[in-house]
Order: sequence, then structure tokens, then C-alpha cells
Amino acid sequence: MTAAAIGLPADAVARPSPRATRPGASTSLERVSFSFQTEKGARLAIESANLHIEAGELVCLVGPSGSGKSTILNLIAGLLAPTEGRVLENGAPIDGPGPARAMVFQDAALFPWLTLRDNVEYPLQLAGTPKGERRARSEELLRMVHLWRFAQSFPHELSGGMRQRGAIARALATDPAVLLMDEPFAALDAQTREILQGEVERIFLETRKTVVFVTHNVREAVRLADRIVLMGTRPGRILRDVIIDLPRPRAANDERVAWFAADVAGEIRSEVEKIAREEADDAWVAPGGRVRVDPRRNMGGGI
Amino acid sequence: MFASILVGTWAAASSLANSPLLPGPIAVGRTIAAALRDGTLPRALGTSLLRLLVGYAVSLGCGVLLGVSLARSPKTKSAIGPLILGLSSVPSICWLPLAILWFGLSEWAIQTVIVLGALLPIAVATEGAVRHVPPQLIRAARTMGARGPRLLFGVMIPAAFPGILSGAKLGWTFALRSLMAGELLFVSGGLGQLLETGRDIGDTALVLAIIVTIVALGRASEWLLFGRLDREVGRRWGTEAA
Ligand SMILES: Nc1ncnc2c1ncn2[C@@H]1O[C@H](COP(=O)(O)OP(=O)(O)OP(=O)(O)O)[C@@H](O)[C@H]1O
Ligand SMILES: [Mg+2]
Repeated sequence: MTAAAIGLPADAVARPSPRATRPGASTSLERVSFSFQTEKGARLAIESANLHIEAGELVCLVGPSGSGKSTILNLIAGLLAPTEGRVLENGAPIDGPGPARAMVFQDAALFPWLTLRDNVEYPLQLAGTPKGERRARSEELLRMVHLWRFAQSFPHELSGGMRQRGAIARALATDPAVLLMDEPFAALDAQTREILQGEVERIFLETRKTVVFVTHNVREAVRLADRIVLMGTRPGRILRDVIIDLPRPRAANDERVAWFAADVAGEIRSEVEKIAREEADDAWVAPGGRVRVDPRRNMGGGI
Repeated sequence: MFASILVGTWAAASSLANSPLLPGPIAVGRTIAAALRDGTLPRALGTSLLRLLVGYAVSLGCGVLLGVSLARSPKTKSAIGPLILGLSSVPSICWLPLAILWFGLSEWAIQTVIVLGALLPIAVATEGAVRHVPPQLIRAARTMGARGPRLLFGVMIPAAFPGILSGAKLGWTFALRSLMAGELLFVSGGLGQLLETGRDIGDTALVLAIIVTIVALGRASEWLLFGRLDREVGRRWGTEAA
């Protein structure tokens, strides 16, 4: 089944014309700073970041919690506008979110009231794609991520890994030029994670989209990335690049992946330790202070 | 099961009391049958139902919109949020005198009472439900290009639907209560008036017959509408239907 889906499946031949896919777009951040406006004033999340991502490059952002990885993805997605500097796609400033840049979130964020297939078709519906084409496209995508059998299932009926594959299919529906992934596999078990890493690499090789992939997992970053961008914190900033010059496709258990990973992990350890120390201090300085609660943990608790 | 125990107890109590003040289920059943035959009950039920549906539809539409704007617009929230919470502690029937002064003894007066009763719980529930829509869903929709009304009607309201539904159910019972209270005080057709007539002529069986009708109305709405919607929510969201 996998082999058939990777090669041209028999039913694809029957279709009138193979889709021309939109090629990846280059993306750059030019001296980008971003501050969140909070009740206690501006909070600098990214300080003067410069980053250029080539069209068709797979870049992993790695760094400790709070280093601004999600913020950078949101800036590229156009969900946030930089406080200073410019965010460009193919040299033109990004002006708000749009179907050319798609995002996959850690918790899949599939719409619970829609079937998997309707979820995948939702962005196409927004884009005004005619129904017949929508149906064909969702089938093609669900077959690509091996979820065609579950097209009529609701998200809660799927496993975490299946939901994540569904989210990838939905993100690819509008044939974006840039695919943004924010810790998409962080909540999955090791085996599922490795399988999905393989899928991402396969999709990347097939479609040649630009991919920006955020992860805490250095090994995952080394397995996937053409280049790893290391980020530091307080304030969030880009530390340096590591080129991962390994042939593709890469195996999960490749020794060279492990070797690179150990090296990169050493680089960020000092950053992580710095955070751990500072957070321990915070907890000590502010006893009885406000505890940051993860909103995902009490979803629906207030109803 | 529980209902049959209840009816059994009722029958036993009334045969023990053996008084015209506590007629048994059979007597009440006969009264219902008679009132159905001579058309008083269908007419009263029709009048009440029509009022209920009109008032409820208005409350539902305005309540959901109000709730959404409270949740999404900090300005609206700070301007009328406290007012809404304050007003929702006023039983809606308290508005009847004012409504009568404004609109006279008209349908407008009774509709005012229904809407004031049902709108607030719907608005408050909708506000909470929209506020608790996982931000990730909204962000996901925005990255796909959803904005404005399409974001609101295509994502926010569907995502908040389970919460809005519980508000809608609450609103329905509030609408029914307000309507009955209004009809009791303000004599012009409807089940409430029939109830008042029963009291006037000392016909306990009639009073109980109307109460049974109101209970049946509540059950029917659950069975025809809310129960189904609950099950549909359960099927999609994977939550247990209550
Ligand atoms: N909505 C917000 N309001 C205020 N500050 C925020 C908000 N979101 C993030 N921040 C702050 O911005 C900084 C960067 O956050 P960001 O979420 O980008 O980090 P991250 O690298 O993605 O972290 P993680 O690995 O934990 O996901 C952090 O200091 C965080 O506290
Ligand atoms: Mg993050």
C-alpha cells in the first residue's frame, strides 16, 4: 500500500491531468523584532532576527522553550506582523495569512465538527474551488497520507498520529508554497513519530515545498533538515545555523543522524541550562505568584 | 420507569386523600381528553406555542449575536457585560408591568417578557462557549484564509456549538417559564390563562391537566429537537450525550 501510494497510484493515471504543484517559495526575515503587548507592557519575543530560507529548503528551528520559534512561524504565516523589520516571501512583504502558507500545529487543530474529508476540503471551499475538484483533491491527499479509509471519520475517532497526518493533508490542500510545522509530532510516541518523519521527508521530496519545521527534538531536526537554525532565549533570537549535509532519504536509525544530533544537542545544552536556572529563580522570587497555565490542559473545563 | 412510580404515587395519594383538591391521574386524563375534544386545550396550546416560538426565535438570534460580540469585542464587553450580568439576576416576569406600560396589553408586552427571559442565558452561554473555542482552531482557519463573517459562521460558531446548544436549551426553559408567568398575570389566551381559569372555577383537575401539558411540551421539545442535537454533538465531538 505504501509503495503504491509513493509511486503513481493506478487511479491517478485515470485523472485528466496531473496537478501542477506550486513550487516552494523563498522566505526571509530581515532584522525582525517582535514584541507582544501584554498587560505589563511590551514583551520582546524576537530580537533582530535575520533568516533566509531558500525555495524548496527544509529548515528546522531548534531552541529552548520561549526562544520564539512559534513566534517566527506565526510571523511567516502572517498571523503576526513584525514590530520592526520585514518578513518577505519571494522578496515581497507578507501581508496577512493566506493559502500560500499553510501551518500544521502540535495538536492537529482539525475541526471536530467536520469529517476528516470535510476538514481537508475546508481550505479549498474557502478558496472557492468547485465541488468536483475538491472531492478529487481531498481523495488524492487522503490517499497520500494513507487515511482514505477514514475519510468519513470525525477527528475524535482517529489516533493522534492519524490526526496529525490529516492535518498535513489539510495543510497541503491549497498547494501552499511554504509549509510551516510547529512541533507537529511532539505529542506522539517514538514509533509513530519516526514514521511521520519519514512521511514528511517523502512529501518534501515529492513536492519540493519550502518547509519550516519547529521541534524540540534534535534528532528529529537532524533527520529532517537541510539546515538547522539554533535559537536562543531572553530575548528570543537566532544563534547560528548548522548545515546537515546528509543524503536523502534518511533512515531514522542512521548513525550519522545520531552523530550529528549529539553534536547539535551539545550546542543547545548551555542555552537550555540557562533557562532552567532562570526559571528556577523565577519560581523562587515570586512565591504565590501567578502560575502559567497551559490553556490546552483545561480545554472545555470552563463550560 | 421513574415516571410510572411518580404516577403510581400520585394515584395512591389521591385515592387516600379522596378529595376534589387532589384528583387522580385518571380524572386528569379525562379532563385532558375533554379539553382536547372541545378545542380549549388545542387553542390554548396553539396560542402559547406560537408566542413561544416567536419569542424564542428572536431570543436565539439576538442572544447568539450578543454573546459572540461580548466574546469577541472587548469594547462591547466592558460597555454592557456588567449590565447583562446584573439584568440576568432579574426574573423576567418583573419586566411585565413595565412592558404593559410601554406596549399596553398586547403581544408585544408578552414577547418582551419572553425575550428578556430567554435572551440573557443564551447570550451568556454563547459568550462563554465562543471564548473557550481553542485559539488553535481559529489560528488554523486564519492561515487558510478565513476572515470576517466566514471565520465567524464557518468556524467560531460551529466550534462553540456544544456550548451554544446548552445555552439554547436553558433559554428554551426560560422562555417557557416567562411565557407561563406572563400568561397567568396577563389574561389573553394561552395555557397560562387556562391555568388561571382552572383556579377561578376551582377545577383542580384542569389545573393539573395544564401542568401535565406543560411537562409534555418540555419533553416533546427535548425529544424532537434538543435530544437529537445533543446526540449529534456527541457523535461528532466524541463526548457522551447527556
Ligand atoms: N500571546 C502571548 N502574549 C505574550 N507573550 C507571549 C505570547 N506568546 C508567546 N509569548 C512570549 O514570547 C516568547 C516566545 O514565545 P514562543 O511561543 O514563540 O516560544 P517557543 O520557542 O515557541 O517556545 P516553545 O518551545 O515552548 O513552544 C516567550 O517568552 C513567551 O513568553
Ligand atoms: Mg512554540
